[in-house]
Parts: sequence; structure tokens; C-alpha cells
Amino acid sequence: MDEDTKKFKLIRNVILVTFLIIILSSVRLQIVEGKKYYRLSEKNRIRQRYIPAARGKILDRRGLEIANTRPGFYVSAIQSLIDENTLDEIAHILNINKKTIEEKLHMEKNPFMTVRIAHDIPYEQLSIIEENMDQLKGIEVGVEPLRNYPHEKLFCHLVGYVGEITYDEIAKSKDYKIDDYIGRMGLEEYYEDELKGANGVEYIEVDARGRELGKITEKRPVPAVAGKDLYTTIDLALTESVSVYLEDYDHAACVCLDPRNGEILVLYSKPGFDPNLFVHGLQKKEWETLYHRPDAPMYNRAIMSCYPCGSTFKPFVALAALDSKMITPKKSFAPCRGEHRLGRRVFKCWKRHGRLELVDAIIHSCDIYFYQLGVFIGVDTIVSRARETGFGRKTNIDLPGEKAGLLPDRTWFERHYGENWTLGHIFNLSVGQGDLLVTPLQLACAYTIFANDGKILQPHVVKRKEHNYHTTTISEEAIAIVEEGLRGVVLSGTGTLALVEDFDVCGKTGTVQNPHGEDHSLFVGYAPCSDPQVLVCVFVENAGHGGSVAAPITGKIIRAFMQLNKSMDYVHKD
Amino acid sequence: MYTRTNLAIIIAVTILSSIGLIMIFSTATTPIFLRQAIWLVVASCVAFIFSKISPRVWSSVAPFIFVGVVLLLFVLLLAHGLYPKRWFKFGAISLQPSEFAKLATILFLASFLSMRKRLKNFSHILPPLAIVAIPAFLVFIEPDLGASQIFFPILAIMLYWAGMPALKIFIFFSPIISAAASFNIYVWVAYFAALTIFLYFHKQLVDLVYGLISNFLAGLIMPLIWNSLKAYQQERIISFFSPLVDPRGMSWQIIQSKIAIGSGGIIGKGFLSGTQKKLEFLPERHTDFIFSCLGEEFGLIGITITTLIFIYLLYKMLILAKETKNRFASIFVSGVFAWIGYQTFLNMGMTMGLLPITGVPLPFISYGGSSLLACFMAIGICLAISKTKFKY
Repeated sequence: MDEDTKKFKLIRNVILVTFLIIILSSVRLQIVEGKKYYRLSEKNRIRQRYIPAARGKILDRRGLEIANTRPGFYVSAIQSLIDENTLDEIAHILNINKKTIEEKLHMEKNPFMTVRIAHDIPYEQLSIIEENMDQLKGIEVGVEPLRNYPHEKLFCHLVGYVGEITYDEIAKSKDYKIDDYIGRMGLEEYYEDELKGANGVEYIEVDARGRELGKITEKRPVPAVAGKDLYTTIDLALTESVSVYLEDYDHAACVCLDPRNGEILVLYSKPGFDPNLFVHGLQKKEWETLYHRPDAPMYNRAIMSCYPCGSTFKPFVALAALDSKMITPKKSFAPCRGEHRLGRRVFKCWKRHGRLELVDAIIHSCDIYFYQLGVFIGVDTIVSRARETGFGRKTNIDLPGEKAGLLPDRTWFERHYGENWTLGHIFNLSVGQGDLLVTPLQLACAYTIFANDGKILQPHVVKRKEHNYHTTTISEEAIAIVEEGLRGVVLSGTGTLALVEDFDVCGKTGTVQNPHGEDHSLFVGYAPCSDPQVLVCVFVENAGHGGSVAAPITGKIIRAFMQLNKSMDYVHKD
Repeated sequence: MYTRTNLAIIIAVTILSSIGLIMIFSTATTPIFLRQAIWLVVASCVAFIFSKISPRVWSSVAPFIFVGVVLLLFVLLLAHGLYPKRWFKFGAISLQPSEFAKLATILFLASFLSMRKRLKNFSHILPPLAIVAIPAFLVFIEPDLGASQIFFPILAIMLYWAGMPALKIFIFFSPIISAAASFNIYVWVAYFAALTIFLYFHKQLVDLVYGLISNFLAGLIMPLIWNSLKAYQQERIISFFSPLVDPRGMSWQIIQSKIAIGSGGIIGKGFLSGTQKKLEFLPERHTDFIFSCLGEEFGLIGITITTLIFIYLLYKMLILAKETKNRFASIFVSGVFAWIGYQTFLNMGMTMGLLPITGVPLPFISYGGSSLLACFMAIGICLAISKTKFKY
């Protein structure tokens, strides 16, 4: 009996201890860690889904769409639900690399979150996925707003494109998540913050197999906010005309702006690319081929390409000379005999001009006259006035990636050629060749000085109420004299092909010497002379003389502009 | 006095079965609920009938019942097309012989041990071990690892109750600890060293020799047995020891079960409102993991009440075992006590992540006719014993 009591007590104690452990561990789970497990149970059943915001539209000056959004089908996956077989199958259906999908999934830290693995899939793929939905665990399809560029190549450099965000970019900014698009190049990049809008979130109750049961009412969804529309000053119709006029040339750039306020009407560069390609998500290889193509289609020649500007620089040398009062318009130098000797080197002119005065030298673009003028007034005089008109610095247009060009001055020459830099360098500078580098946009802006009696306008693409400009110290008389020359260029000089009936056009031709091939053809012009409404800068690579190629194109563009503004209700807000 | 014990057992079992029914209603479809209700009625009738049968009868028919059940297990293994071979199917009814095997084994073991007065040496353990090993092995190759291992704790407690010293039983079964420790060589060496020191001071030559040899061999052989286990069995054991290795696999069940219980808090999410259960994050909701659903919907209060009722029932059975003069009856009750107590602890510990997932049902509560019927039969016999305990 004593033995029995001993056994009874031992077993009783064992029972009490073991079930005490059960109750204590229940206390630990439900009270000590209760909140944590409650959160986990909520996380289990609630799936967050982002509602992508539609990107703001980009509109031209008349409200026509340059970039808009269209609906597209996407495929998304949930990391916690997808298995190896599904991964293989979906990669096969979508015809993309399995690794790419895995990489994307691994970028999302929350395994219950949906991650978009393919955008803008075609109907055939969509129907295959829908048919096999039962076997594809953790795969969803849906509709999202996608960027669309209805004019394809036409505005590729100006507008840029949107691409899928990279991991590094997400790390830098908290506003983005994995399957977001981000603007690259052009307006898309510059105005990213305004265009992108804000993604919304909705909360959906799911069961353990990932099936969606419906929206959760306890948690308020955050609606997506669409991006702001961007109203630009771009003229779609004129840009189309420009692209037609430049059709025969492979590499060209054109800038048209309103010289009264700096509004960009056309900013066109050739060759281009179709920005719609990036919406699907380019494979790395495709992107690299595009980017490294020798003709650089992704390069915006209008703001990035730096060339010497040739004879279009001469008016600024003339301005410097007149403004410094070192010469009068009557000043003449040794007559042009087609060449000029400087020691052993021979500097040539394109024609034997004979004795010329300043205005005629501009009209006929005589190099010999300007060699002598440049030496006469000195490099510092030229550079100080040229700097004022905007050479050698950025115009600060609202586009990314703009280049500043190069305006070589005394210190620059000394640094690069040593103490013994020669008159030859001044010769070259005086006619816009050699070391001087200018972007087409920069040149166009510099010419607004003639259209505005001394004011240089800051160009901009997006509409503004106020227009920035800076006033130069260059005297109005000097400007008036040079302008006379610019008018003469078109009436009787090198640029007669830019002549437009009923309008007087002012302008200047330029031929950029190209040691690698045919010369680049350049023309800057504006019209009408008395009250300029449009300023055009055309740059055609490897096309020959400025007067023979760029000038007639400029004429056509000005004519098109005038016709457009006559036929369309052209509202200009001053 | 005896009627009070009787009544206590009846009340405890009734409450537990009711909790079971409520939870099955919450976790399963209506047909399953109705089926369990019918099983409960049948089981109650059987328990009533059994409570009218004299314990003496059981003592004499125990060997035959045992042989019958063993044969049943054999037949099950020979059946074609089933996998795993756990159930007999008769139309809509399916029976799980392993549940009845537990009861039959307890009966036979009680009858066998009641005839042995001397239980002192290791050699005295071997015959009862052989009795237990037959059904345990047959259940193991069904395969049902969870059900087969339950036989051994039952044997240990029945041996102890029948008079075998606890230390002997411990040393006898210590190779199991050695086998478990053999997964990690350092743990095993530490265990073996501790055992050696203990046995040295214990100063029993037989114990020392047996203990050292058996533990050493167990540590050697275990890796071989491990490789013979089925993949899912290995997975279960691995996932218990490292639950974060594979969150979607076996340990998914442990994690989801812990989330279910933990998220219930003190008062629970309310009847029928457990999200873990409703949205199927919990596996085996109405069978093995029904206790997790209870924790989710009724919280700490529900778990504590249920556990206290189990403790009460087990305590009453322990008193019954102690006060029953008849040796067979007393050992039998201790066996039933061991069976229900161990299985309850195993199931509860499993849902809380304290023990590996073994797939044993919670007595009286989990869905399953065989388990319910077998438990009620055992309770019926206990009731009969309780009525007659002073007449022996």
C-alpha cells in the first residue's frame, strides 16, 4: 500500500508538471507573444496589392497628345506561392528567362506581395495563361496603365522613355517599388516627380492557397493618384513637317523656338528609336545593341552634340567688333583673294570676294575678312561678347543631359597649346572652326539676341507664365547693323535658298569643316525680320554647304510654321 | 464513493466530447459533423454496454482480443491498393485498427502483468515488450510512426504500475535517448559520459553492463534506421528541430499552428471566426490540429479549461487505478491512463511547437470514429471497474 501511494504521487506529479508546461506555453504564445502572432495571422490573410498610378500625359502646345497611357495586361507572381514547376511553365509561356523572373521575385522582401514579372503581354500569351490558371500557382494577370507614345520615333529624344526601375534606383528612393516604371531621358526624366503620380494600395483577403476572397473592409484602401499632365510648348504638326524635310538625311538636328519667349517649338534629332520598346521591358542585350549602335540613336543631337558652328559664329565676331567700338561698319581690310598666308600656312576662303565692308562680309561669309577682323579686335574681345550671348555654357533648358559646349579663351589656348599658340587659332575662332564647340540649341538661343534687341532667352519645353532671359550689354546699334547683314544673307548672299515668299527671313549659313568626311551643313534663321515669331536652327551632318542643304530646309520650316499659324487657331499668350 | 468517481469520469468525458463536437462543427463541413455526432452516440452506447460487463470477463478474453486485433492488422497490411494502409473501409464507414490495437494491447498486457508478481530484472521486461512490439511493428509499417510509438510509453507506465522499479525501466529504455542523441556526436558523447558516471555510482553490475552496451549500440545503429525511414517521416523530424529550414513544408504546419494559437489571445477570436482556420492556413483542422483551432477561437481560456478537464479526468483515473484492489483492473486502468494522458500531451505539445508533428489525434476531441470508439470502450471498461472495485 505504501508502495502504491509512492507510485501514485510520482505519476500525479508527472501529469501536473507536463500539463503545466502545456498551459504555460499557451500563456507564452497567447499573452507574451500574442500580439506578434496576431500580426502574423493578419499578414497571412491580408495581401497588399499596389494599384499603379497612371502617368501624366505629355501634351503639345495645342493639347495634342505626345505621350499618353493605354491599358496593358501584366503577369504577376507571389513568391510565397509559386513553385518550381510554375516558374518553368510561366517562363516558357512568356518566353523569358527563368532567372530574370527569380531575380525580380527576390527583390521583393515581402514574400506575400505580388510582383509583376511581365508587362504588356500579347493576347495569345494571356489566353494560354488564363487556360492554365489552375496549374499556375501564385500567378495572376491584370490590367495596368502603360505608357504609350503614339508618334513613336518623332519625340523620342525630347520626351525620353520609361523603363522598369533598377534595384539601385529603388535603394536610393523610397517612393518606388520593384515593378514601377521610371522616366529616363528627356521630359520623362526631368519631370519624373510630376508625371509619376502616387501608387495606391488595396487590401485583399486571401486564403492559404492564395485565392482572393475579396477586399477587406476594416482597412481603408489608398487610391492611386494619377500623375500631372505636362503641357509643353512643342508644336506637334511643325515637328512632323521637320521630320519630313529631314527625311533624306541620316544624322540631323533641328531646334525651332519662339524668340519672343524662349518656348521650344521643335526639338528634333535623328536618328531616333521607338520609345515604346522600353515599355515591354527590353532584354539587356537589345538595350545594349541599341545603346552602342555606331549612329547613336539614343543621343539627342539637339542638346548633346557639340560641333564647331562655322560661319554662324561670324555675326558674333562682328557684334564684338562693333560693340567694342574698335571698328565702324565701313571698316575694310586687305581684299580677299581666296586665300590668306600666315607664315607657312595658307588659310583659304571659299571664294575670291575682293574688298568688302563688314555687312557685305557677313552677307557673303568671307573668311578672309573675318580672319583679319578677329586678329584686329583680339581674342579677348570676341570671347567676352560671345560668352555674354551664351556660348560655352548651358542654356538650362528643362531637359537632362544638356552639354555646355566650349568657348576657348586666352587661358584655354595657353593651357592647351602652351605659350606659343598662334594667330591661326584666332583665325579659326573668328570663323567658328577649330576648338569652338556649340550645341544646336545653344546656337539657336544665341541668335535670339537679334530677334530681341539684346535679350537672350532661356529656352524651355514646358509652358510657363514667366519667361527667363538675361539682358546683354551689347549695344542696340551694333545688333541692328549685324541684323542688316543677316537679312542680306537671305536676300542676296549665301542663304538665298532660305527665302520665303511674303516674308523676310534673316539668317546665317554655316559650313562646319569635317576632317572625317563631308562637311556639316548648318543654318540659323528667323522670320519675320521686323517682328520675329520663329527661330530655326538646322544642323545636318555630312551634307555639305550650309547654303545648299540647311538653308532650304530652314526656309521650308519657316513656311510651314507660317502656314500652320494661319490655318490653325494659334493662340500665343504673351 | 465509487459512484462519485464514476460520475466524475462520465462528466469529464461528456464535456470533452462536447468540446470536440463544437470544434468539429467549427472546423469541418456539416456532413463530417453529423458523422462524428453519430459516432459519439454509437460510442456512448458501446461504453454503456461495456460498463455492464464484469472486468473478470475482459481478463479472460484479453488474449483472444489481442490475437484478433493483431490478425486484423496483418490483414490490413495484405490489402491491395491502399496507401498508407491505415483504414478498413466498409462503405461509408472506415475503421482504423491501430486505435483498437492500443486498447487490445492494454487489455492483454494488464492480464499478462497481473499474473506476474515478480518484476525486478531486465529479463522480466522482455515478454511484455514482445507483446507490445508485435502491434507496434505492424502499425509502424502501415506506415504510421505516430501511432506505433505510443505503445512504448504505455508499456513503461504499466510496468511501473505493476511493480517494476522506475530506474530499471529508465535504464532499459535509455537506448532510445541514446538513439535520439546520436544525430549530434557531441550531444551523444556528453549523454554517454553522464550515463556512464551515473551507472558507475549506481553500483549494479547488470545495469552497468546492459546500459553501456545497449546505449552504445543504439548510438551506432540509429543512423542506419534513420535512412530506412520514409521521406515524410524524416521531414517531420527535421522540421521539428529546425522549423525555419522550409517554411512551406512540414514546419509550415508548426508555424501556422503556433500563429493560430498565439493570435487567439486571452479570449480568442470567437466561435467560427478563426481566420487561420477559416482561410485554411491551418492544416488538418478537424483532426490533428483541432486544438490549434480551439486556441484560436476560444483563446487561453478555452485552452486552460480543456486542459484542466483532461487533468481532472486523468487524475480521477489515477485514483481509480490506485484504489482498485484487483491487480488486473488496476494495471488496466493505469494503461488507459497512460494512453490518454500521453496522447493528449503529444497532441497538445505538437500544436504548440513543443514536440514534433506525429499525427496523433486528441482523445475525445479530434474527428475520427475509431479513435472515439476505442477511447469510449476503454472508458466503459473503466466505469465497470469503478463500480466493482471494492468487491475484489
